[in-house]
Amino acid sequence: MKQIKIQQQNFVLHSSGAIYWIEKATLMLADPHLGKIAHFRKNGIAVPRKAEGVFYNKVARIVDQFEIKRFLFLGDLFHSYQNNEWYMFRSWVKNQKAKIILVEGNHDVIPAYKFEKIGITVVKELIEEYFCFSHFPSKKEGYFTFCGHVHPGIKLKGSGLQKLKMPCFFNSTYQMILPAFGAFTGLHILIPKKEDKIYVTTGKEVIEIGEN
Amino acid sequence: MTTVQKWFENKKWTPQDFQKKCWKAYSEGKSGMLHAPTGSGKTFALWGGILNEARLRKKHPAGIQAIWITPLRALAVEIQQATQSITDDLNTDLKISLRTGDTSQSERAKQKRKPSFGLVTTPESLHVLISAKDHRKSFNHLNVIVVDEWHELLGTKRGVQIELAIAYLRALLPNLKVWGISATLGNKNLSREILLGSIKNYIIINAKIKKKIKVKSILPKNMESFPWRGHLGIHLLPQVLRLIRKNKTTLIFTNTRAQCEIWFYQILDSDPKLAGEIAMHHGSIDKKIRLWVEDALRNEKLKVVVCTSSLDLGVDFSPVENCIQIGSPKGVGRFIQRAGRSGHNPKAGSTIHFLPTHAIELIESVALQRGIEHQKIEDRIPFLNSYDVLLQFLMTLAVGSGFYPQKLFPIIQNTFCFQTLNKERWKWIINFLVKGSQSLEHYDEYKKVTILENGLLKVLNKGIVMRHRLSMGTIISDSSLKIRYQKGGYLGSIEEWFVTKLKKGDVFTFSGRNLELIRLHNMEVIVRKSKSKKTRIPSWIGGRMSFSANLSELLKKVLYEKDSYNTPEFKALAPVFFQQQLESIIPKSNQFLIERFQTKEGFHTVFYPFEGYAIHEAMASLMAYRISLLLPITFSMSFNDYGFELLSDKPFLKEAFLDNNLLTKDHLNEDLEKSINISEMARRRFRDIAVISGLVFQGFPNKPIKTKHLQSGSQLFYDVFKDYEPKNLLYQQALEETFDHGMEHGRMNRVFEKISIQKIEWKQCSQPTPFSFPLITDRIRSKLSSESVEDRIKKMYLQLEKSGK
Repeated sequence: MKQIKIQQQNFVLHSSGAIYWIEKATLMLADPHLGKIAHFRKNGIAVPRKAEGVFYNKVARIVDQFEIKRFLFLGDLFHSYQNNEWYMFRSWVKNQKAKIILVEGNHDVIPAYKFEKIGITVVKELIEEYFCFSHFPSKKEGYFTFCGHVHPGIKLKGSGLQKLKMPCFFNSTYQMILPAFGAFTGLHILIPKKEDKIYVTTGKEVIEIGEN
Repeated sequence: MTTVQKWFENKKWTPQDFQKKCWKAYSEGKSGMLHAPTGSGKTFALWGGILNEARLRKKHPAGIQAIWITPLRALAVEIQQATQSITDDLNTDLKISLRTGDTSQSERAKQKRKPSFGLVTTPESLHVLISAKDHRKSFNHLNVIVVDEWHELLGTKRGVQIELAIAYLRALLPNLKVWGISATLGNKNLSREILLGSIKNYIIINAKIKKKIKVKSILPKNMESFPWRGHLGIHLLPQVLRLIRKNKTTLIFTNTRAQCEIWFYQILDSDPKLAGEIAMHHGSIDKKIRLWVEDALRNEKLKVVVCTSSLDLGVDFSPVENCIQIGSPKGVGRFIQRAGRSGHNPKAGSTIHFLPTHAIELIESVALQRGIEHQKIEDRIPFLNSYDVLLQFLMTLAVGSGFYPQKLFPIIQNTFCFQTLNKERWKWIINFLVKGSQSLEHYDEYKKVTILENGLLKVLNKGIVMRHRLSMGTIISDSSLKIRYQKGGYLGSIEEWFVTKLKKGDVFTFSGRNLELIRLHNMEVIVRKSKSKKTRIPSWIGGRMSFSANLSELLKKVLYEKDSYNTPEFKALAPVFFQQQLESIIPKSNQFLIERFQTKEGFHTVFYPFEGYAIHEAMASLMAYRISLLLPITFSMSFNDYGFELLSDKPFLKEAFLDNNLLTKDHLNEDLEKSINISEMARRRFRDIAVISGLVFQGFPNKPIKTKHLQSGSQLFYDVFKDYEPKNLLYQQALEETFDHGMEHGRMNRVFEKISIQKIEWKQCSQPTPFSFPLITDRIRSKLSSESVEDRIKKMYLQLEKSGK
């Protein structure tokens, strides 16, 4: 875990890929892509079912560590609509005391009223304090953006011709892109500029990477 | 006298012994195997037999009677023309048609309505025919299947495809004859056993044609400036130009398509007069252009053609006078085949020029010459238990007429590839298709193959049928995009990953032309010609070939024997040998050489077993694994046919390495297995398996369909199987293939036995030696680590975007 300050507010970057906003007791997650595995299976591609449960285990571990008053999903909560996955998610929602907000993403094909029926607020974009929360990366004058969509990853180099690709939090001057929270989601490798800050997550630790 | 014999007589030809033997055996209803080199008249030997028999029959039923399988589409065209022409000469109205991936929809429909007597096709297209719902009806009158160039297919997964198709068809048609035509192989008996299976009534016929092959190395004038590494060989361009001018036609064989593009460009650049007389031929170039090149070559319109293995086989180019091989051909058999492209008169000798791309390859040239002298042709090692191909084949049946698992099981077991398939694994495979896994704990929406009430397994979902039909075949390539001029006209295809590195306006070289990227549109790369000289050359990700066991034996012999030093190649190498011996040695048969030196990249440890790429790849992981048990360390490894390199950011000590006896053959298999599990080798193997078995759907450039939500990399699949379903047979297959394929069984053991009686020579050097140079400069690497990811990351840094972009 790693604590950072943005616009005088405190945020914890969690090794799972989530961000905890301390002042607002809010947990942000991007791109869980629930139902992706089921979607593949429905189309005859046999991804092991067991991989589907990862989301709930990961969230449960975070819930143990923080006091969470609000969940904020930054889009692509569902990869596509699958009955089983929806029932599983619904029963998870029932057990949460915290408020749940979903910022809509491009994969979110489940209509908003279905979410609202189980008590989730659905928005296109959320503005709070000097922050903008959206699915897609965006530059909004006067605001700092938190977003997902990209599934950011980074290429690392080391002596002895070592190379490594890792998921990361990608922090530029005006926005923070969260890594994909879901299993079986893949990486999109970004090349940072000098002013960007990169926090690699290994699942166990969050490590800030320096330049050479 | 038979019809075909008369035809020979009319042409004033004398049939050769092997041709007569084939005709006779065929008339007696035998199956068989013909070993004959390309260009020897092997097509007439088999097709003659088929026609003799056909002429005996007055009326022909409507249905295919003979299927001829070739490995290459280009070859299929050639064979179709040759067989049709002799058939016409005999005044029959029998038709031979062509069915490959290039065959148009309307032609396919016509073939279905009115099947012809003969069909020339490829392994993939044969499977497409089997995927038809009414395929039993189409094959009802089938008498014979001929598999041409079997040596090229054996030892590949396409060979497994053939095994499955033949086993299946033989179960439908018990009297089906099967014939194979193959160049000479090391393991002739095995090759027959695999193709003919349980057929008892067979014959083996050997064509006794010995061609004189002369190998001449192209030597640089000045060895001091000859590079120690490299893979292009462009520095020898003047010598190549001289050879081109001296001969009427020259074929230049390169090992990769990129090499092919570069050589074409360089030749034309330094001798513009060749424009119009020079052409290029490789697998990514559009079919029309390829066919044009082949025709022009036959009609003596070209002076030089730069090609890849795409021109290795079959097609008869009598005018070719001269062949040049750029870089190592990796095996004696392939080299003989390529040399055979010149001097196509069966009795004339062939000359091939070997152009070394770096100094050490000159040693190889001498080894190849010895190999040819003693006819040391290598074995082709068949695949075993290729579950990916089996799953694909079962889907092929399931999208068509469907299949009954109990009936099919013994047929599959009858193939060489799946002879050890047991009931449990068969059940696993069927479960994988029907349930998507082994457990049925949860209700699940998995859909692929459905069991109908009568027990028939069939695919009902149309989307799944379509995706399967689009992805049949076992040759793997990265998804590719078509290249098209803005004004129209296709040039060929290019791999997607290369295009994604280009920006609008960038210039790249393809098919010998400099092209400017205008835009990407509908999976097509739209380009226009460019005059810019600043250009990029695409590289294609192709399989790397390894030395055969044969060639590595030859290589060692050549290196150890005193006689070799009298060859012009070794004389030319003298300055390189001198440099090598300054701080290190040229190992003798009783020595095992290890070199250690440090550069700014880190600590290099280079081992020289001279056993070929495949063995070195596994050995490197094994050594890295054993060392990594002594201390937390991360290795980046490279390998070639001579040796392998372990590179690390910190050193391991010579004493620790020697005292712990890390080169022991004890626990060899255990350690190998563990090293394969943690290294990336199996991960790379899995890429092909995922595509063949249908996990990864690549989509097709000319058939855009909505698949974005179903696309995922094979790497992701590898990871989920590893984490959640390690018993998955496809995951296991990746490990097994890494462990087995490319090595004859037990070869690794023998290698370590040899090492155990050698003296280990650990040489500390102040700088890289000539032998090590090709290894340490190789950028295709794998890694193995015993450090934690976190510890490794803390030592690493970012690569920033270059300013000004």
